[in-house]
Amino acid sequence: MRRALLLCAVAALVAPTAALGHVILESSQPVTQSRLEAPPNEIRLRFNQAVTVSPGAIQVLAPDGTLLSGTATTSEEGRVVTAPVSRVVRGAGYTVRWRVIGGDGHAPAGVFTFGVGVPAPPPTEAVGAVAATWRDDVTRWALFVALALLIGPLVVRLVVVRGPVPARVERGFHLLGVVSAFLVIDVGIVAFVVRASNALQLPLGDLLYGDLQPFAEKTRFGIAFLAMTLGFGIVAAVLLLAWILERPELRWPALVLSLALASGLSLSGHQATEDNAGWLSQAADWLHLVAASVWAGGLVALAFLVWPLAPSLRRNAFLGFARLAVLLVGAMVLAGSYLALTRLPEASDLWQTQYGRLLLLKLGIVALALTWGAAHHFVVRPRFEAGGEPDVRHSLAGEAAVALTVLLAAAILTNAAPPPVEPPAANAGSAR
Amino acid sequence: MVPRPEGAHWIAGAVSLLLGLLLVSEVLVGPEVFRRRPWRAYLFPAVVIASSVLLWLITIFSTFSTMHLLAHAVWAQAALSAGAVQLALVRGKLTSPAWSLVPGVALLVSGAAFLVHEPNDWLYSRSAFLHHAIGWLLVISALFPLGQALRPRQLVWRAGFAVTFVLLAVLLFADRDSATIFGRFGAGAP
Repeated sequence: MRRALLLCAVAALVAPTAALGHVILESSQPVTQSRLEAPPNEIRLRFNQAVTVSPGAIQVLAPDGTLLSGTATTSEEGRVVTAPVSRVVRGAGYTVRWRVIGGDGHAPAGVFTFGVGVPAPPPTEAVGAVAATWRDDVTRWALFVALALLIGPLVVRLVVVRGPVPARVERGFHLLGVVSAFLVIDVGIVAFVVRASNALQLPLGDLLYGDLQPFAEKTRFGIAFLAMTLGFGIVAAVLLLAWILERPELRWPALVLSLALASGLSLSGHQATEDNAGWLSQAADWLHLVAASVWAGGLVALAFLVWPLAPSLRRNAFLGFARLAVLLVGAMVLAGSYLALTRLPEASDLWQTQYGRLLLLKLGIVALALTWGAAHHFVVRPRFEAGGEPDVRHSLAGEAAVALTVLLAAAILTNAAPPPVEPPAANAGSAR
Repeated sequence: MVPRPEGAHWIAGAVSLLLGLLLVSEVLVGPEVFRRRPWRAYLFPAVVIASSVLLWLITIFSTFSTMHLLAHAVWAQAALSAGAVQLALVRGKLTSPAWSLVPGVALLVSGAAFLVHEPNDWLYSRSAFLHHAIGWLLVISALFPLGQALRPRQLVWRAGFAVTFVLLAVLLFADRDSATIFGRFGAGAP
């Protein structure tokens, strides 16, 4: 045992070259997403370790896709890669695509942009990038669902079903909360990578070593992703501690943090990046998202936790959620109407643009969900109040399914491009 | 925005060494003596849970490649799950010895993430060597929690589990030639 330990230690310590050192693009000239006043003569990439390159390791592309760069060479013991550029002119944004091979055999690749005399386009609009695909829609939907399954049951437990509950219901709430927090993180990572891959345009094997830094640091959705990943990691830990230490009050900070982190989606979507976006549209979007999440996730908690596991709680849970649902629907409708008017100022936009038609589809599903909810509110609620015990589990599950479908429509809408609008005079541009 | 990798790896090594020393102490004196002060039982799970939060922090700094982002996220979740289960066992929320399998699964998944992470052979480079060494160390050490679940009284499982963290610390400290202690053995420039 001692000999094996010794051999292991010695082998690890004396083996040459960098250990767990991965190839990282430390800096670039021009700087990622920078605005230059004069055209550059070369592109210079500095890595944290020696790399080897092919002649086309750096490609500088004009907006029309024309290749403007020459043969790439290395210097400074292989840490710096340089390629000359020509025909770069003022008044345009340019795309740099690079790919090198590190000492560890990995072949990282990346893309970034710079502008000459104009602001650089975001990396998602680099030459060769494609718009959102069905993968973006699916991952965004999964993210919405995970968020709803986290926030909705937390609100139900803290606001609707307060006080002691049977142990297995409590376990169910704990389990759903923790699993949902993990899901938000994991789905968020996949959604981020999928979105970056639209611009990176790498095969799957190469995408594993794709440089995500320009997207993480220079885009709103990237910054939101970083904050949400760290924040929901903390939420997961807090929820686990709430269960293990039997401190249910810890759910409150988890809920508050989750609601705050949900704003990351609003601060990085259309309501934050379009020309007429402002703080009001971002706040409305956050309210819309949170209300929809509590509504959909709350229905899931009622149908699949409270109803089957705690018959004694059904009446109070249903009546409490019915009261809450009035507020939620009101918030959703008000915020949603404002957002629709902001994005589609003309009524004809509803049927003349793809965004408008998608919104109509979403409104159709919302109308079905609201009708279902109204039936619960005006037909089932009075029966509970009169002392009856109607079994509406399947009906609640049905409404929950429709609510989750609304989230799918919302995800598709989020990834669709709204029609252009006139910016208000005082509104400054912002990073996307 | 990306800190030098060795910095993060040395912090991880320090945490791993702390965990290893805690576990070794418990093995040496026995659980009865070690847990004579009840708070000591909370040390290991508390450090593991805290390290999971640290790992989330490292995760968001690992956007220099998709693979590293995914791998660090896996390690963070594995650490949080394993630490929570250990804490629940200490608190008596979980009682079955079978729950000891969760840290085993966490080690297995973490080791697999290291191995998937590295496409080259053992001796391709020092980086490849360390990835393989850490990966296989974690995969093999997953047997210790399994043994602990099946034969809780045998000391060897707990000892093996403890030594795993010490070895992991040594391998993480060996990261980069600029390591203050080990770097002089390497051939590269600091």
